[in-house]
Amino acid sequence: MNLTVNIGNGIFHNPVCVASGTFGYGSEYESLIDLNKLGAIFTKAVTLEPRTGNEIPRIIETPSGILNSIGLANVGVKRFVQEKISFLEKLPCATVVNVAGSTENEYIEVIKNLENCKSIWGYEINVSCPNVKHGGLAFGTNPFQIENLTKLLRQATPKPLIIKLTPNVTDITTIAKAAQDGGADAVSCINTLIGMVIDTQKKVTVLPMKTGGLSGPAIRPVGVALTYKVSRAVSIPVIGIGGIMDADDAIQYLLAGASAIQVGTGNFVDPSMAVNVLEGIKKYSERENINSINEFHSFIQ
Amino acid sequence: MQQFSANIFSNSKISNCFYEMVFSWKPNTIPLPGQFVTIRAEPNTSPLLRRPFALSGFYESKKRCSIIYQKRGPVTTLLAGKSPDEQIDIIGPLGNPFPIPGKKNKAILIAGGTGIGPVVFLCSRLKNLNLEYISIFGAKTKSSIPDNQFIKQNFVICTDDGSAGYKGTTTDYLKSISNLMTSDTILFACGPQPMLKSCNDFACSHKLPCYVSVEQIMACGVGACMGCAIKITKEPGFARACKEGPVFKSTEIDWN
Ligand SMILES: Cc1cc2nc3c(=O)[nH]c(=O)nc-3n(C[C@H](O)[C@H](O)[C@H](O)COP(=O)(O)OP(=O)(O)OC[C@H]3O[C@@H](n4cnc5c(N)ncnc54)[C@H](O)[C@@H]3O)c2cc1C
Ligand SMILES: Cc1cc2nc3c(=O)[nH]c(=O)nc-3n(C[C@H](O)[C@H](O)[C@H](O)COP(=O)(O)O)c2cc1C
Ligand code: FES
Repeated sequence: MNLTVNIGNGIFHNPVCVASGTFGYGSEYESLIDLNKLGAIFTKAVTLEPRTGNEIPRIIETPSGILNSIGLANVGVKRFVQEKISFLEKLPCATVVNVAGSTENEYIEVIKNLENCKSIWGYEINVSCPNVKHGGLAFGTNPFQIENLTKLLRQATPKPLIIKLTPNVTDITTIAKAAQDGGADAVSCINTLIGMVIDTQKKVTVLPMKTGGLSGPAIRPVGVALTYKVSRAVSIPVIGIGGIMDADDAIQYLLAGASAIQVGTGNFVDPSMAVNVLEGIKKYSERENINSINEFHSFIQ
Repeated sequence: MQQFSANIFSNSKISNCFYEMVFSWKPNTIPLPGQFVTIRAEPNTSPLLRRPFALSGFYESKKRCSIIYQKRGPVTTLLAGKSPDEQIDIIGPLGNPFPIPGKKNKAILIAGGTGIGPVVFLCSRLKNLNLEYISIFGAKTKSSIPDNQFIKQNFVICTDDGSAGYKGTTTDYLKSISNLMTSDTILFACGPQPMLKSCNDFACSHKLPCYVSVEQIMACGVGACMGCAIKITKEPGFARACKEGPVFKSTEIDWN
């Protein structure tokens, strides 16, 4: 079985990655799993300036899922380069930096600050943050803004550029196409769904920011459906994300059209989940006589 | 820290709300009072997240650990239904322990509600080291007090309704022994937020150092998700309960 995945001018050894925001900067999980077995680590979002994050509580469990409102808490790009890169550098798996910003310039500046780090494989662009220049609506909801942002970032780096799609739009395929037209090498599908939980006794929302991002097994059928749709709308690779808890879940994404997958919330539940998913994909491929990731795509029309 | 499948040796109801579970400890690292583990009770998707529990004891010769927990929701209900010889998925030890006081110090240990576990662990450590301490445990009523020899022998019991021990809260009791405070006294507390806040107020007014162990909802437990933030007075304004804590100097916490 050939497990490699090609994205732009880059390669993942295998299709099993860990999702941004659920795996810190890698070192947090060092003593719990063999990081060498991962296809790629997608870092916590990195912004130009450090961010302390949102008010507390930031997490609440929902049926088969969690609602989070972390608020992109991160050390900022300068400290990321000074403190976090050296650990990721030593790993054989790819390091993909998740980049967030609220203006186009912020995204570009973050990438400029990272371009000299040879060990960074590429970038995943988190376009779900409010775009302060355009009335606070997320970049990810407007195809024109997406295409424009992708073009600008394309000029800023020759490295693989992945646009992470938000499911909180009417038609995700137009956004995916806009990313492709702007020059993206792949799209990640999906970020969290907007959700709300209300405490009926206190008559207040449980999260101080009112809404949060829903993730975990509850969103998996949504992620699989959108991966299916997007992979038919674009020719660039799709990275499937959402509620993956075991190999079977991941295989659903591969069959739906994904070329790689990310385990997110699953890492919290069982840190060895990504490694187990990889083993399960290998066993399944052997049993079903599947020899490459692309072969997964031939079954479902 | 290590993830392991622990064998349950015993799991018993020790009061109207508390259970005590003893399980095997596989890591080579010896856990310390104030440290915690995260537990996945069943490989289900609901309840989903692991839950944090502070350790209440470590029995080195047998390589066993214990927790004291309150049955209050889905995961603790699953835990309460476990029988000896069943397995549970554990990650630990996690977080920073309580500092151990010196020979000249006098430790005052204050536990409320689910904070009893780590305080029992700390108390047994101080006892083994022959250090001086006063331990206080606060409960609503007599039937909430764990049926545990160690607690009965080593703790001053306070109940809100006066049905056992001192009538009043742990802080009321603390105030009643104000005259025992010296410049060498150190406070250690674990329990509900309002109790921790009053311990901090008491410590500040008597100019005593105070260490508190905080409880915050956690997702990863290992410092990766930033979900367990608590407010602190220093920059950057937040700290992770699972990584920088759960034990903090009480003056570092923003109590507003
Ligand atoms: C470091 C740490 C140590 C802990 N040690 C112990 C312990 O020794 N014994 C014990 O019984 N409990 C302890 N807890 C709390 C324990 O994690 C919760 O009781 C547990 O998560 C409840 O799970 P559940 O599914 O049964 O109930 P849930 O439905 O998840 O929760 C029931 C209630 O408890 C509250 N709660 C849930 N999780 C937490 C939490 N992490 N902190 C504070 N409140 C919470 C919820 O808001 C809810 O009101 C500790 C928490 C932390 C962070
Ligand atoms: C606590 C938490 C923090 C997250 N932080 C980020 C982030 O910084 N950037 C980002 O692009 N996605 C972030 N995500 C979204 C995940 O990367 C992923 O897209 C989503 O959780 C769905 O996958 P899952 O169901 O496997 O968790 C976060 C998710 C969670 C649960
Ligand atoms: S629980 Fe994830 S950082 Fe503390």
